[in-house]
Amino acid sequence: MLGDFISEKRTLFSTGVHTELRAQENRQRRVNLVAGNLTTNNRTETSGVSARVYKNGVYGFSSMAECSGQAAETVLKAATENAVFMDSHIGKEKGNYPQIPAGTVLLNKEVVDTEQKKYIEFARDLDDYIVKKYPKLSSRTVSISADSMEKRIITSDGYSGHIASPRAYVYLFLNSETAAGVPIELFCAAAGGFGNFEDIFTDPAMIYPKIDELYEKLMHKREGVYAEAGKKTVILGGFLSGMLAHEAVGHTVEADIVLGGSVAGPALNKRVASDLVTMVDYAHTTPFGPAPLPVFLDDEGTPAEDAVLIKDGILTGYMNSRETAEHFGMKPQGNARAWSFSDEPLIRMRNTAVLPGKDKLEDMIASVEDGYYLTDTVNGQADLTGEFMFGVSMGYEIKHGKLGRAILDTTISGVAFDMLKSVDMVSDSVIWSSSGFCGKKQIMPVGLGGPALRCQVMVGGR
Amino acid sequence: MENIRIVADKTEEILQEKHIGMAYFTVSASEMREFNVEGGEFSLFRTLYDNELSITAYKDQKKGAVSINRLEETAIRDAVDTCLKSAESGVADSNHAIAPKQENEVFRQGVYEPDIDRLFERAREWMEDVKEQFPKIMVHDIVVSHTKRHSVYRNTNGTEFESFSGEYAVSFGFAGHEGDQTTSLCGSYFTTDSLEKPFMSMGSVKKDLQDAQDQLKTVSLTGKLEGTVILTPECLSEFLYGMIGNYVSDNAVLEKTSIWLNKLNEKVADERITILSAPFDERILCGQRYTQEGFKAQNYELIKDGVLKSFMLSLYVANKTGLERAKNTSYNLIIEGGETPYEEMVKSVKNGIIVGGFSGGQPSINGDFSGVAKNSFLIEDGKIKGAVNEVMISSNLAELLNHLIAISKETVENGSGVLPYMAFSNVVIAGK
Repeated sequence: MLGDFISEKRTLFSTGVHTELRAQENRQRRVNLVAGNLTTNNRTETSGVSARVYKNGVYGFSSMAECSGQAAETVLKAATENAVFMDSHIGKEKGNYPQIPAGTVLLNKEVVDTEQKKYIEFARDLDDYIVKKYPKLSSRTVSISADSMEKRIITSDGYSGHIASPRAYVYLFLNSETAAGVPIELFCAAAGGFGNFEDIFTDPAMIYPKIDELYEKLMHKREGVYAEAGKKTVILGGFLSGMLAHEAVGHTVEADIVLGGSVAGPALNKRVASDLVTMVDYAHTTPFGPAPLPVFLDDEGTPAEDAVLIKDGILTGYMNSRETAEHFGMKPQGNARAWSFSDEPLIRMRNTAVLPGKDKLEDMIASVEDGYYLTDTVNGQADLTGEFMFGVSMGYEIKHGKLGRAILDTTISGVAFDMLKSVDMVSDSVIWSSSGFCGKKQIMPVGLGGPALRCQVMVGGR
Repeated sequence: MENIRIVADKTEEILQEKHIGMAYFTVSASEMREFNVEGGEFSLFRTLYDNELSITAYKDQKKGAVSINRLEETAIRDAVDTCLKSAESGVADSNHAIAPKQENEVFRQGVYEPDIDRLFERAREWMEDVKEQFPKIMVHDIVVSHTKRHSVYRNTNGTEFESFSGEYAVSFGFAGHEGDQTTSLCGSYFTTDSLEKPFMSMGSVKKDLQDAQDQLKTVSLTGKLEGTVILTPECLSEFLYGMIGNYVSDNAVLEKTSIWLNKLNEKVADERITILSAPFDERILCGQRYTQEGFKAQNYELIKDGVLKSFMLSLYVANKTGLERAKNTSYNLIIEGGETPYEEMVKSVKNGIIVGGFSGGQPSINGDFSGVAKNSFLIEDGKIKGAVNEVMISSNLAELLNHLIAISKETVENGSGVLPYMAFSNVVIAGK
């Protein structure tokens, strides 16, 4: 466990400025079995201490790869000097942050290290299962990843805390060929989420049904056809609506992106979606249970609470740091987070989701005359304008209200606030995912989720 | 910075104590200084001190790897023990190997000691230049930094490479902005060892700003056509990375999913296309000097006159497949300028678009791709009509390389690569 060598350094904080001091350790364990070959067998650990000082509207930051009281003193001094440098050159002459109440967040989860041997044995068991049951596959990859962040945070005003976020996942890639000999691949994050590897993965057999399901989908894809290009009525499955919540809407309503000119700037308190759409960035608890990757405290000392972004189709708020919250006259809700000890806090999503509606998925499919049901995605991007793109790795045609042939890999795109206005059916259950990293200067594990949505998007077929 | 030679000696001593026959490790210490602009205003100055010790060791031909950032003796001992344990849990494979003994060498590259005041002033000057020359540009973010790194590499065959490097890295994010209208986010990036010139004159910065401002004038593209795309150097690099990942990388060869698997020394692209991986080219800053397996890096041809000359393979996959390893493992890609001036290239296009960025799904394993053409302009009858949005393009990476129309005379050098504009035909372009 990360020791406490920073609490006693609070006395060194300068007066008249906001100061954060953070000790942190990150661990990553990775095993890749590519076609049965152990190509990756890695363990990575980084630890250190950082300080950030806010003075008159500018920040100084410093970090050292050392967990000691001496290192804490060094970074406090360097961060203060950097803040002074910036203040003397820029001179924004802003005041300090508005105060927030003080408090303490206690350790929510202990990080438990798992022997590398266990990851390898688990992966080899899954690989053996795949080879024995599906010998005709052209290739396969089994990948296990476990990462954790453990932090101790003290601030000059606000909360202090000791927090930890372990996460573990098993990923599968299966490869085959179409009848014409064209190679195809399908991927899934088979299982995983918040917690230590041994909490989640008790027996490889728990993954077998996921392998069977992935294989069945791959066989559908093997017979797949190219999607037809153009604007289509689609049912976005929960993985895609979660991606939509994160990429296409979430990023545009991060307050630093708003300040950079995002489309959400002039859209506050205006209609941006049909009234069936409500979207929330959950901190640690959702109406349906614990959030996939719970966050209790951010790295600025703000206790985490939910941020309601869209309510019944109206854009109601942004996600903020303490600085941007003051700028926009909003309340900071714990979104300022850093990935590594050497990273400064940035505005990040936590568990961003579109809320469920009342429709049944089967009724939604039955309502589409000519369109697609898109179930799996591999990646997504969006920009300031809300124009988004998702890579679709699995989906089916819908003809006359019935599912038809599978489709080959394609891409969908649209403009978020236009597309969300076309949502006219919302399913009654949410699919969550927390297997990926969000990239924004730094990487960050995030949760995302959503129900199935019926809407209009551009499909990039041939 | 830590005395990493002492750390290297200690690591070597512990590896010898444990009787490890095959291993390599790198110890490095780095210092980074970085200024950030956020929302158009200077916001942050960072100073980071970091270390790294990464060890790869083999026990009975089983491989384990560990990376830590603490360099005290107890941490080194723990790392070696963990690495050995990981290796013991691994899978024996006779194809694991490291390079035979190479001549020891010391490399010095770039600018080791930064001029921080000058770096800050160059960033501030750029902000002022943008305000004056591009009034419709909103600066989203700027990250300017200097990183210096001292590293020592050693392996159990007695090779040592020592490296001192330092470079400035500059990235800008910006968008055209007028009233409530915002263009897509645009960017520009370069690395340099000199602060002699204003940032506005570096890489493709000025053109990127002009393009962003020009994107405020949009025209609509409806329907679908098979036409020409001109890929900007920045966008071209994304497609080249896709090609590498799908056709010539370790995984693509090991899994036998590459459609070029049996095409070594065969034609895979238009004969005008030659792609070099060239970390020693004088236009590349702080290029790779040695591989992790312990070979001194060399430039090599990936594709020469349209013929596939090499895969990008590690020694392990090379041994496994009987193919040759890549002579470096960098992504310093170079395509030299061609015969056609950029303006002529544009004039020759009847129907098509200039694509400045590509937001697409990961290409299918066979190279099929589709995605949104970002920062793009419509060309009709040789004239740029205006920016387009909500336009998707699709084709296949391998087919694209065989549908080359022209390579521009002009190239963009950004410190990590040298690429021209390239025009390709037969790409599906779909508007609203």
